[in-house]
Amino acid sequence: MSEPMKPEDVLKIIADARGTAICVPTMTTAPAWRTLAPDDLSVYCQGFMGGASTLGLGLALGAPDRRVIVFDGDGSLCMQLGSLPTIAGVAPRNLVHLLFKNNVYHTSGAQGMPGGERVDFVMMAKGAGYRNAFAIHTLDELKKRLPAILSDEGPLFVELHTGLADRTPMTDRGGVPFPQQVEKLHARLTA
Amino acid sequence: MPESVPSSLIIDTYRDVFRAERAGARRQDPLGWIISVPDTHQKSVLAALDKERDIRVLTCSTEDEANGIAAGLWITGEPVIVMIQHAGLYASVNTLRGISMDGRVPIFYMIGLLSREKDKDPLESRQSMVRFCEPLLDVFSVPHARLEGPDDVHYIPEYYRLSRERRGPTAVLVGLPTI
Repeated sequence: MSEPMKPEDVLKIIADARGTAICVPTMTTAPAWRTLAPDDLSVYCQGFMGGASTLGLGLALGAPDRRVIVFDGDGSLCMQLGSLPTIAGVAPRNLVHLLFKNNVYHTSGAQGMPGGERVDFVMMAKGAGYRNAFAIHTLDELKKRLPAILSDEGPLFVELHTGLADRTPMTDRGGVPFPQQVEKLHARLTA
Repeated sequence: MPESVPSSLIIDTYRDVFRAERAGARRQDPLGWIISVPDTHQKSVLAALDKERDIRVLTCSTEDEANGIAAGLWITGEPVIVMIQHAGLYASVNTLRGISMDGRVPIFYMIGLLSREKDKDPLESRQSMVRFCEPLLDVFSVPHARLEGPDDVHYIPEYYRLSRERRGPTAVLVGLPTI
């Protein structure tokens, strides 16, 4: 079994390839993404843990000509697990649902997730009805599959096996406040 | 005495609200979105909406999801109404706060007061979910109005517009089951 990927390395690869996709980071992907992609095409799920997947769904439905990429966390997704059938049911073709699986609640001190490593979110996404769902364990595999992830018909679910990020929203509290991000993205998409 | 409101009247009002918001917009399809966690109280409206071609209804597993989806749609400029039951308000207070209040995302809710007694003011109801609904909205300073009969449908466009003007949540409470 390979070492888990560094989330920052995963995000860098995605940042270099995402083009004009709208991105929805949450929790421990947020500090790194702010540095890698400081643009107004990202809106961070902050202050309502668990909401990234459905915020992404709304954006995907409202902007069908753009790719929407959700950077979800395993702890976050467990808070709105019902979003899997909701997303699969409406089946947005432009939605990519990435899950950064580190098996812990990192921000609050790395407490173990319910079920831990055994939890298979790929099976859950497939069972919910996502068009495709698979796991990626290495950066090489991510680089190889990313072009298809960014172009194939969705909704796609990708479970990324990662370690802990260097920074969390508790250790790095910066960034544009959520209401301002919302306003900027709203202005950009409705211009 | 409160009266039930016909579904057709509510849906016609939704159409007017959506048309007003879509005026001049490039995109006209769908006319608007209804995000719903099915509410027994408003089931006749949901059944009638199933037959509508120009309004898109999206059913969610939870009201937290409804808030997230409504936010995403609003950010992209889409007109949207959230239809839930009072139980769903209680269940989704965190996302009401985090998304609509703190995030300043306009969300307009139609909230059904399931089990509200016809001969009682909702604040006097024996049912706790009815009795605490308006006080809960008041705690969060969410403007709200009661839909107690056909003459009250004007609250729908008024409170919809208010949610957009104040950039936050507003609600119309459906007093009796729709028909």
